[in-house]
Amino acid sequence: MQNLLDPAVLNAISGLDLVAATVVDGFVAGLHRSADFGFSQEFAEYRAYAPGDDLRHVDWNVYARSDRTYIKLFDGETNSQLMLLVDASSSMGFASHAVSKLAYVRFIAAALAYLATRRQRDATGLVVFGDTVRDFVPPASRQGHLQRVLASLLQAQPQANTSYAAPLTHLQAFLRRRGMVVVMSDFYAPPADIIKAVTPLRIHGNEVVLFQVLDPQELRPTVDGSSMLIDLETGAQLEVSEDYVRGRYRERIDAHVAHLQREARRAGIGYHLLQTDQPLDQALLQYLRLRTGRD
Amino acid sequence: MGWLAPGFLLGALAIAVPVWLHLLKRSASQPRQFSSLMLFEPQLRSTTRRRRIDHWLLLLLRIAVLLLVAAAFAEPYVRGHLPGTAPEKLLVLVVDDSFSMRVGTRLEDARRAALAIVAAKPLNTQAQVVALGARADVLTEQVQDAAVLRAALRGITATDARGSFGLLTSMARTLAAGTHMPIELHLFSDMQATGLPPDFNELRLPPGVTLVLHEVGAAITPNWTVESVAAPAQVWDPTKTRIVATVAGFGTPTATRIVTLLINGKPAGSQSIKVPAAGRASVVFAGPDIPYGLVRASVQIDGADALSGDDRYDFVIQRSERVHGLFVHQGSDSATGLYFRSALESAADAAVVLDEVTPEQLRSRDLSTYAFIVLSDVAGLSPALEARLTAWVKAGGRALLSAGTAAAQQRRLPVFDAPILGSHDFTRDDSRFSSVATVDDAYAPAGTLPGWLGIKVFYVTRVDAPQAQVGLRLADQTPLLLEKPLGKGRVVLFASGFDRLTTDLPLHPQFVAFVDRLASYLSGRASRISALSVGDSVDLRTDPGVRGSADVLAPDGTHPLDLREAARVRTWPLPAAGFYALTLADSRHDLVAANVSRLESDLTPASTDKLKLWQATSAGPAPADAATTAVPETPASVREASIHNLWWYAMCVLLVAVVAESLLASRYLHTLRESS
Repeated sequence: MQNLLDPAVLNAISGLDLVAATVVDGFVAGLHRSADFGFSQEFAEYRAYAPGDDLRHVDWNVYARSDRTYIKLFDGETNSQLMLLVDASSSMGFASHAVSKLAYVRFIAAALAYLATRRQRDATGLVVFGDTVRDFVPPASRQGHLQRVLASLLQAQPQANTSYAAPLTHLQAFLRRRGMVVVMSDFYAPPADIIKAVTPLRIHGNEVVLFQVLDPQELRPTVDGSSMLIDLETGAQLEVSEDYVRGRYRERIDAHVAHLQREARRAGIGYHLLQTDQPLDQALLQYLRLRTGRD
Repeated sequence: MGWLAPGFLLGALAIAVPVWLHLLKRSASQPRQFSSLMLFEPQLRSTTRRRRIDHWLLLLLRIAVLLLVAAAFAEPYVRGHLPGTAPEKLLVLVVDDSFSMRVGTRLEDARRAALAIVAAKPLNTQAQVVALGARADVLTEQVQDAAVLRAALRGITATDARGSFGLLTSMARTLAAGTHMPIELHLFSDMQATGLPPDFNELRLPPGVTLVLHEVGAAITPNWTVESVAAPAQVWDPTKTRIVATVAGFGTPTATRIVTLLINGKPAGSQSIKVPAAGRASVVFAGPDIPYGLVRASVQIDGADALSGDDRYDFVIQRSERVHGLFVHQGSDSATGLYFRSALESAADAAVVLDEVTPEQLRSRDLSTYAFIVLSDVAGLSPALEARLTAWVKAGGRALLSAGTAAAQQRRLPVFDAPILGSHDFTRDDSRFSSVATVDDAYAPAGTLPGWLGIKVFYVTRVDAPQAQVGLRLADQTPLLLEKPLGKGRVVLFASGFDRLTTDLPLHPQFVAFVDRLASYLSGRASRISALSVGDSVDLRTDPGVRGSADVLAPDGTHPLDLREAARVRTWPLPAAGFYALTLADSRHDLVAANVSRLESDLTPASTDKLKLWQATSAGPAPADAATTAVPETPASVREASIHNLWWYAMCVLLVAVVAESLLASRYLHTLRESS
């Protein structure tokens, strides 16, 4: 079953929902644990109905008595919310093999959404951003919400530049409950700027995790002789030599990753480096670990 | 190792093209997309690093291809044979077919020895057959087919030609210049000493040629021969004719030989002569009965030896009537006529009767009875007489004018029809006289006559005759002997006198020969030669303008000229001994006799030392067994000196390099496509 977490294998599966189910089921089966661990169904309180709430949770008895619509809230729902922030800038379209960074992010996001929605009954939201917020799915856990998240993921195409400040500032307005925010990007920006933009998400006690998704060629690029490189986002061109790529560039990318990791740890933000040729279990395991810690 | 065409090595400069292309290729790399250039730094890389060449192996292969192409065209060669290959060489089988090879079975022995060489020849060795006589006749191409070589050898027959080993050396030089392999020259001959040239340097063989001698008939064979016959070519009075025949013996003991004179095939006299051992003896036939016309004469001996072809000497005598010449001189000048007549009568032939007259007496003479007319320093000819003389010349007559002190006083020369520019009296100069400086050897009356430089000329008349042929010129370039055509006839001018005042020519012995030649020339009787040698050429077309057809009737009764040759050929070599009846292009008939060169009669072989010295002139040392008939191995030094062209190997390596380059380039191209 572990092979089913291989990005190359998942890339051959059509349908993001099937990918998500394949990943999560396989992942969970590998854990040898109950599928409902950490889940609570104890009644907590009523809350006034708001557009978008699942009608199944409306307490129709209260409505009959008071002519007001309330929904019942349980402990699990009040404590868990997963917000997925997906970078869909042009640089995410880079691929040195069959799976691009954006495709890999789709797999992760779909798997996390599936795991959170179907298994953990968590509300899941999605923000697709580039230089602006291009798509936004508010967090919810009702029936059919997962399909909406997956549909938005499928529609995400790599384009435009990356800007962390504007989308994340925009997102703060929708983060009213504690939960977990997962930011998936290649993070080609100064680490200080990234942390500065991400730190405000930690309001209301949210856990923030950065998944830096990079292609193996970005970490250990190989060029034959002298090559002319074109920036996918800016279109700038630069001729680089093989010696530079083998030496100086690797030092700089390693320093960049280490710097981001160090800055994230200092800010209390989780950080994980994911390579597009690695299985997805790393990301799922991280999510569950945080979820368990929160419960 | 060397290069046969080193100029093509300049093509190696083309390697600059792939080097430049590889540098260019590097700078024109295909762009590729990358996520972000944020972590790349704009850098200044060194020119050297920028120009570093990619695909070294491919570049080296391409350079190798170009170098190999240039090398193949430059034709590299090495000396010595390549390992694992048989040494290449060209066998040249030269069979002597000269007259001396008629002795006994010499030619058959030579042929047998040559056939043995052909039989022992490796299959892939090329060989060539040459017959060496008056010339080197190449009978085959350079072939490996033994059947062709055998057929050529069997077709060789002995000739009447004289063999010359110097000719063989010339042929070897020509062969060596055109053949890039060692030549093994096998000579099958009786090695006559007379076949060696006087100058031994003519025998020097070129490098790469090994001479192997196969001597046949090594034993000294005694041989008698009619060595020479001294007989006049033209006679008018046979009773005064003396025919002197010399009989020679080569390696012979003292013996008595019977010498017979044949006239038109019939014995006209016979004498017995005692020939000393290896010596000579002469016999004289005086006053033989010679009929009018062209006579076939021969002197033969009872040779009783192995070489009968030289026991007879053929020659041709022409008997004709004496011709008359007219000598016109001033009345006061009686000396020049005396000199001229004395010279004519002193000549061996003396076939001219000279009549002396003064200009006044000339009027009553019938000019048509004279073969030629001499106007000796004549001045003041009447216009009528001059017109008569001119008309006679234009009708085909020939005249000789001498322009001494009297004739020089005129404004123009009569008959010669040229203005007189003046005269030069050399006695008034410091030098006192002038000399002949230039002689036209092709001019029959004066050319090749020795002694002209010793003639003193005291007085000369200058005439304006730019179109005239000049036979003699003085030191100041003044023409002394001129000739110009006039109608159908010709006029010769001696621009001085035949007296002793204007020139001392009458005092010199060559005056007799000069006058005799002039008389023969003017009378139209060209100098005849009683006998020629085999290989000499006869002139069938004396005037190239004549379009008639010539014909030759050979001694064997055949007509050797085909129609094309009969219509065009000017000279024709006499191939064999005997009498040849000629019909010249101008319809005149002639008869010539050809004899075998008597150098062939001396059958004494060359000394072994000389032959070894001859062999030693080649690149390699002479084989120890110079006279063996076995095929010796090629000397090691010659093998080392042999040239092997390596262009074929260069082309093979080139083919491999091209294939490798194609595969490698295809691989690189595939990689580039994938990366792009």
